[in-house]
Amino acid sequence: MSIVALAAEGSTYETPGVADFWQPLIGSGAFAITRASIVIMLSVAILSWLLLAGTKKLTVVPSKGQFATESAYGLVRNGLGRDIIGSHDFLKFVPLLFTMFVLILLNNLFSVIPVVQFPTMSRIGFPAALALVVFAVYHAVGFRKHGFVGYFKSIIPAGLSIGLMIPIFLLELITDLFTRPVTLALRLFGNMFAGHLLLVLFIGGGEYLLLHGAGGLKIAGVGALGMGFVMTVFEILVQVLQAYIFTLLAALYIAGAVADEH
Amino acid sequence: MSQEPPAPRPRPGEVPTSTREADQAWRAFAYLLSGPLLYGGAGWLLDHWLGTSFLLPLGIVGGMALSVYLIWFRYGSR
Repeated sequence: MSIVALAAEGSTYETPGVADFWQPLIGSGAFAITRASIVIMLSVAILSWLLLAGTKKLTVVPSKGQFATESAYGLVRNGLGRDIIGSHDFLKFVPLLFTMFVLILLNNLFSVIPVVQFPTMSRIGFPAALALVVFAVYHAVGFRKHGFVGYFKSIIPAGLSIGLMIPIFLLELITDLFTRPVTLALRLFGNMFAGHLLLVLFIGGGEYLLLHGAGGLKIAGVGALGMGFVMTVFEILVQVLQAYIFTLLAALYIAGAVADEH
Repeated sequence: MSQEPPAPRPRPGEVPTSTREADQAWRAFAYLLSGPLLYGGAGWLLDHWLGTSFLLPLGIVGGMALSVYLIWFRYGSR
């Protein structure tokens, strides 16, 4: 409301939008090194350092770092790996799940970590690449388990009438090949994009209202900044949750392919 | 506080019940998207080629019906 009013006065406030997420730093065009590329490389460096430091000197009574690393690893290994994929096959997928979880978690948290302040996953290419890895893995697992033809046969539920087999088969096929990986990527992208946009709007808009607004608008600016703080806390929750959900779904998809029948 | 019985520990090689339930919920959601998408898309293409305009809505509704049927068939009828 206040932004609309400001825009009507011919002020210079620019509402944040999609363009704010495209920030090439070196070069331009498709091969530019963007802020997101720098952030993800930073995240890999930080994670490698943290995990190596956390597992360097392993002791029976763990240090703080070792305890934190072990807790995060335990959460993914037992909560997502063993409980979902089943204790028979889960171990070989734990490295993938753990890597995804910590990578997404840190990159999401970068949205609110000062100086960095950019969620990598708000650029669709990053979640799409991760979803592609999950896609390749769960289909490869399915092919290995059931054989090429057998895998396609296994997606039709048993006991279906002949007339419905082809439409249902197509539906299952599109669900497995398209809907599930695409929604996996879009869910993470959408949450990170929208959440960060909201923060930019509340904090940037609040600052503008406070500094350039007249009279009552300054009070609105304080309100907007207050909301910005509340949303920041809320976003941290969303960021952790989305990292968890992505890993949970990756585990569920793999579990479906590993299971005898899905 | 009511005491819930502890969930039975799955045997090795067995997928736990909670997994199946969570998987069903997410799959049902994916079906509901896929049905209208696939058959609505097919309807749109056919409309495009045949010069008609009724196949897109028919495809969306039919696809939705098929999705709901499939969810019922898979998870509700057994």
